[in-house]
Amino acid sequence: MDMDTLFRLPFLCVIGTLLVSFCMPVLARWKKDFCAPLATIFVGIVFGVTIIIGYYVMQGVIIRYYVSGWAPPWGIEIVVEPLSSLMMMLLSGICFLILIYSYHSIKHELERKVTGWYYTAFLLCLAGMMGLVITNDIFNMYVFIEVTGISAVALVAAKGTRDATEAALKYLLLATIGSGFILFGIGFIYMITGNLNLTFIAQELALVKDSYPFLLWTALSFFVVGFGVKAALFPLHLWLPDAHSSAPSASSAVLSSLVVKVYIIAFLKILLIAFGLEIFHETFIRHLILVLSVIAMLAGSFFAFVQIELKRRLAYSTVAQVGYVFLGIGLGTVWGMTAGILHIVVHAFMKTCLFLCAGAIYYQTGRKQVNQFAGMGYKMPITMGAFTVASFSMVGIPLFGGFISKYGLALGSLQADLPLLIIVIILSGLLNATYYFPIIGQAYFSQETTPEHDNHHDEKKFQKDQIPLSMIVPIVILALGIIYLGIFPGTVLEFIDRTVSLLL
Amino acid sequence: MDLELLIINFPYFVSIILFSMGTLIVLTQPNLVKKVIGINIMESAIFLFFIIVGNIHGGVPPIFDPQFPDALYINPLPSCLMLTGIVVSFSVTAFALALIVKLYIYYGTISSPNFMRMK
Repeated sequence: MDMDTLFRLPFLCVIGTLLVSFCMPVLARWKKDFCAPLATIFVGIVFGVTIIIGYYVMQGVIIRYYVSGWAPPWGIEIVVEPLSSLMMMLLSGICFLILIYSYHSIKHELERKVTGWYYTAFLLCLAGMMGLVITNDIFNMYVFIEVTGISAVALVAAKGTRDATEAALKYLLLATIGSGFILFGIGFIYMITGNLNLTFIAQELALVKDSYPFLLWTALSFFVVGFGVKAALFPLHLWLPDAHSSAPSASSAVLSSLVVKVYIIAFLKILLIAFGLEIFHETFIRHLILVLSVIAMLAGSFFAFVQIELKRRLAYSTVAQVGYVFLGIGLGTVWGMTAGILHIVVHAFMKTCLFLCAGAIYYQTGRKQVNQFAGMGYKMPITMGAFTVASFSMVGIPLFGGFISKYGLALGSLQADLPLLIIVIILSGLLNATYYFPIIGQAYFSQETTPEHDNHHDEKKFQKDQIPLSMIVPIVILALGIIYLGIFPGTVLEFIDRTVSLLL
Repeated sequence: MDLELLIINFPYFVSIILFSMGTLIVLTQPNLVKKVIGINIMESAIFLFFIIVGNIHGGVPPIFDPQFPDALYINPLPSCLMLTGIVVSFSVTAFALALIVKLYIYYGTISSPNFMRMK
């Protein structure tokens, strides 16, 4: 392919998604049912394009594109290294599957008049996230953070119920505080270096970092708080359970598996490219992140354990999983970083699968509480099968994706001379088991005891799931993806390895 | 302590104090409209901070004047960046107020401490 065209592609993905998102409300005035297929087809095309980009990036090409031709110190630069390219594929791929799923589930869960606007928010969110992972300019990053944040709130608020509106307001206020902190941090960086481009900041910081020790600390702490709120690092996670559990299932899947993670990627980029590992090790931010992530892994699981509603339980489980990713970053070793980033990918598959299963169960039976799942394995064998696969992966059983990243984290903590952390990882995995296995056990091994069916001779018979095909297919693909990642993690690991070796 | 340095740099202190005030208001006030006002105070503090960063003591506005070709110009970039910041702050405020109107329809009040309780 022509290199010039290739270099424009990532930029066109973001701009195209933005354009299509603004066509949605117009289209919805005319034909409401066309919105979902059009959005799905478009995101499918974007997914194809990102795979092409990924192919070329694996050949060793690093895409650097100057938006509207202005060279870096002044203009906005787009950089697609292996990690960004992997994240673009992940974002558009998972969004593609969720959009297929959303065709029927959104009809079921949302009022008909908001359909067009829902897809506007969805595509805006996707465009914001893709822009966030490819930009190399911190102020541009801030703008994309806000685009993602506001459209994510809209995805929660779309349901329009009392709980959803309340959760959306809470999310909006706390997310704005978070982005305020990030913007302040960007202000500090600009004050020290006079640059907004990450590469130039890195060059400048290497020269002047000894003159401003306290200012660097301040800037880094502002970033930790800001991105901590946005990515729901444990004591700052208060908005997450409400927002993720009261949103429609398609939104919960996007929010929990992708939106929370892209902020971590952005944080990682600022941390590694601009500040560099040296400053990260010298200031005590690394220890802070380690302590917070250990607390998150344990406390998130404890909180999840006491929840009765399935989606709330999944939301608290996200808090724990974010802890894993931050643990990988905090370790600061090659294996730790690799496993942390791998966990972003694996968790995106697992949590999307779990939330989509929860939505499918709600679609067919209207049940939300975990104690109502008796006999569900026979009523919805495909959905519960996928749920079981994702839960096994969550716990970290070998042959499933979650095992690889947890194993990597364990190796990373050995590399960082902190072997005690392995106990924490294992303990958190066991805690995961305590709140996922009862659901699975109930679904397969317990009888539904309703007054009409005293003799349950016809209960234990497999029936086909009563949900549309467009909801089954994404769930099955995600479950297969988890198994694939567990057995052949090589391709994904290679993408991550290249970035990590580039940055460390 | 060099008092003169502190006095010259007093806008930084104003910015930090405003930022802390705004954050405190968002987190502690039960009234939802006051929370939105807190957000606005906080963001204004950041805008102020950026504008001070761009300011150079004794600089002139960055408009080229042929009579003084080597005049000391202030840095206009942070002020321009803050235009984007103002747009973001405006949209967040509008969105938050819309949500508050909806909550008012549900609850009949905008000052309930129950909204932000932990579940």
